[in-house]
Amino acid sequence: MDLIGVLRRVVARRPPVLLVAMPGATRERLAVEAELTRRGWPSAASPAAAAGLVVAGLPGGERPRWLEGLWHGMPRPKAHVAVDHAGDASHALGVLSGLLATGREGEAPWAVSTGSPREARGAGRQDRGGGQGAHRRQETGGRDERGGRGERGGREGHGSTNGRDGRSEWGGRGSHSGHHGRDGRDGLDSAHGRDGHGGHGEAGGQGGHREGVTAGLPMAGRADDRDGLRLDRLHLPLGPALADWPAGLVLDVALQGDVLQSAEEHPGEAAPAGRYPYWSEPWLRAAGGEAVTRGAAERRRCASHLDSVGRFLAVSGWPRPAARARGLRDRLLHGAAAGDVAPEVLRLTRGVARSRTLRWLTRGLGELPAGRAGELGVTGPALTAGGDVHARLCVWLREIECSVHRMDDARAVADAGGPRGRLDGGLPPSRALLDALLPLLPGAEFACARLVLASFDPDPDEFAGAGHA
Amino acid sequence: MLDDTVFWVLSALAVGSGIMVFRFDSMARATYALLLSLLCVGGLLILLGLDYLGVVIVLMMTIEMAIMGVFMVMYMMNPAGLVPMSMLHNKKGAAALCTGVFLLMALGIVLAPWPPRAGTAEEDPTRALGESLMGPQMLTMMTLGFALFSTIVATVLLATHRGRYDRLGDDLRARRADDPVPGGVGR
Amino acid sequence: MPEAAPLWAALVLPAALCLGAVAAAGFDAVVGGGAGRSGSGVLGTASAPLREGLRLLAQQRRTTPSADVALGRVGLGLVPVAAVLAAAVVPWGFVSVTDPAVGIVWFNAMEVLAWAAVWLAGWGPNSVLSLIGGYRFLAQGLAYELPHMFALTTAGLGAESLRVSDVVGAQQGLWFAVWMPAAFAVYLLSAAAMSYWGPFGYPLGGDAAGGAVAEYSGVDRLLLLGGRWLLLVATAAFSVPLFLGGGQGPLLPGWAWTLLKTAAVLAVLIAARRMLPVLRADRYMEFAWMVLVPLTLLQALFVAVVVLNR
Repeated sequence: MDLIGVLRRVVARRPPVLLVAMPGATRERLAVEAELTRRGWPSAASPAAAAGLVVAGLPGGERPRWLEGLWHGMPRPKAHVAVDHAGDASHALGVLSGLLATGREGEAPWAVSTGSPREARGAGRQDRGGGQGAHRRQETGGRDERGGRGERGGREGHGSTNGRDGRSEWGGRGSHSGHHGRDGRDGLDSAHGRDGHGGHGEAGGQGGHREGVTAGLPMAGRADDRDGLRLDRLHLPLGPALADWPAGLVLDVALQGDVLQSAEEHPGEAAPAGRYPYWSEPWLRAAGGEAVTRGAAERRRCASHLDSVGRFLAVSGWPRPAARARGLRDRLLHGAAAGDVAPEVLRLTRGVARSRTLRWLTRGLGELPAGRAGELGVTGPALTAGGDVHARLCVWLREIECSVHRMDDARAVADAGGPRGRLDGGLPPSRALLDALLPLLPGAEFACARLVLASFDPDPDEFAGAGHA
Repeated sequence: MLDDTVFWVLSALAVGSGIMVFRFDSMARATYALLLSLLCVGGLLILLGLDYLGVVIVLMMTIEMAIMGVFMVMYMMNPAGLVPMSMLHNKKGAAALCTGVFLLMALGIVLAPWPPRAGTAEEDPTRALGESLMGPQMLTMMTLGFALFSTIVATVLLATHRGRYDRLGDDLRARRADDPVPGGVGR
Repeated sequence: MPEAAPLWAALVLPAALCLGAVAAAGFDAVVGGGAGRSGSGVLGTASAPLREGLRLLAQQRRTTPSADVALGRVGLGLVPVAAVLAAAVVPWGFVSVTDPAVGIVWFNAMEVLAWAAVWLAGWGPNSVLSLIGGYRFLAQGLAYELPHMFALTTAGLGAESLRVSDVVGAQQGLWFAVWMPAAFAVYLLSAAAMSYWGPFGYPLGGDAAGGAVAEYSGVDRLLLLGGRWLLLVATAAFSVPLFLGGGQGPLLPGWAWTLLKTAAVLAVLIAARRMLPVLRADRYMEFAWMVLVPLTLLQALFVAVVVLNR
């Protein structure tokens, strides 16, 4: 009896999938998420939990190192596919399942693109806004399977405990696993010389000289914490491959325990130019002179807010309504009639708004008064809310309820008020949101910081300055 | 026979992991070596028939060590105690002190005039121990309990960075406490 | 009434606990709405946790750079072991593997071991997110442990004994759940908290990419995730002798009543789980200390007064 084969097929039926969205690939991410829900595949929160790596969109230039790290961090058996076009999602997941069932581990992600026609992909990027381009899928394993296998043959083997390959490389830039060094022997016995060593301890605080590096990882330094104690402090990047995190956003944070001491944006990869940010597309098109109906724009706004609400609920650990919000979002984007969706949407928004526990858990977090928001150039829901995390959630819920009734409006779009704010200002709305939320993060605990970020939900696709049509 | 084996195994483990507390160079390992040692001591007490004391030692020491481990990691002088560090300080003085104390206690064990056993063991040794400890001195024990508790409260009061006036305002009338991370009740 | 179980019961116990855990996880998967999806019936959904377990068994384990592998594995292994050791004092009908005079304290001590073990598991991989998960469980433990201890004590107080069979014996006629409702409710809350599960899944929170379990795969992951189902089943089963009269009931034999009541408690927990988002320790801690501790103390006082006047 082929036990390994049986197990492989068990894995292949519903593999947990780590979905990574590249900047600008919102459309592809949504397609993959909808397909995952349809198939009932669980999504993995970390590479360790995943059997399949699905990359939505393709990186513009070099394949980033963090993606390589993610792939190396996944335990075998594993497979990888990239979805370069929203229409390919279903096929790509089929391929992934096939790769897992046959045990033909996909090659490393960076090897993939070499086997695919680059010119075709380049062309596809231009006309992607149009929707139905030719089928272009990036899949691994398939044709170069033998070569790839030969290369890595020495390390093949299921359940091999050879840790070298499975180690957590999702460190680096893309990772969220920062590591404390434990190897360096400096600072030994420095207990007695504490005061004399003051400068030494300052390292992390100034961000200037880091304590040194062990095993290729920066060590923790020390700095004053919010209670006036002098505790260890670790610098690490958050994102871009965290689950329920804005695609492509990377924050450089300093952590003490699980309290954020500082947070800055790490200049990341920009969304590819020449493509409208998905969520503000209708308004930008209208501003560009195309004919867009208000109904279509409201549909997009409704879906956008449902996406944000789904993400917020997922971050706050309430999977069921999160899944419902995402399911409704997918139905809206597939053109479901307003009359069919509206009752369910209302049931969801009312249920979430009524939840006392959620209000109790999110009250008082990330206060942004309307006045301050206005100064920072924030427009849209965050300005309307002018309050804490829960207030912003409630504004989303209200706007969803309004939009869902306006989806049949056939008049042309006249304003520029996108789902995240006005698109005709000098600053892209998501940029203003990020500027407003970063000062709210220091002093917050990790879970609170995630909630604050999720309650603004900036869309990095808008960063590229696409605020202007 | 079985009891003897268990006794010697537990004792060896207790002493061995006690030594490892000073040999390990990681705070977490040292803390949990100490926990292992204390768990073995708890086991020894159970072996003596003092079930309650033994199990309570397992319970309390586990909680204590789990919390202590975090504090050890948090407060260590080199970055976070995450870098390997020696657990030994003032080696000569400590060695002399330890030898002295050990000799003193060993001498006490050897030289004390232990009374011969009179009567048989109680059916419930825990109860017997409790009564002989507490029975005639309930007042002392209660006073001691209050003294210990008020010491804890006083220490926390002296050490705390923010008191109730910082949290609830000078007249303590604020509806919601002003905390860096708001709590669930607001008091 | 109490009987000594034959020696082989000690060998059956882990298997029975695992079976209970698989059944509970399967029920959870069905309630979770997996059923009715394309190509899988109720049975297919219910067996999903089992398949997931098999998958993890065959999966590669991974290690992280400069990890404390030994300490991490001690923690991982300790979680299911502590669950089984705790379950040893749970009577099956009126028979338990062991029935020491301090059964209740023993149960609590084993739970606490699992608590420390999760921190170890979070510490092991040398990664921030898993360490955050470990810290979260410590904080959560500080929130639930005291109310939990008082709830346990209240049951022991009502029976005037820490022996589990005595507690069952004291509930002839009237279940403790009836006249100690606060202690029972707090026990159920802390049972979920102890197994870091459902609304108390904060230490393994998705916002920290899985927290304590973020860096584990293969058998390691199975031990931690399976261990929590074992803990949940063990704590749910222990609520039966403590508050629900153990194996007492009409018509059916004792073991059947134990099974039924345990299943009912688990079903309530699993159904209630979906109604709440994850409770963060920073909010729950204050609630536990300002509301639950006084509540359980008042409950204990009430029971003590009743017992003194009996």
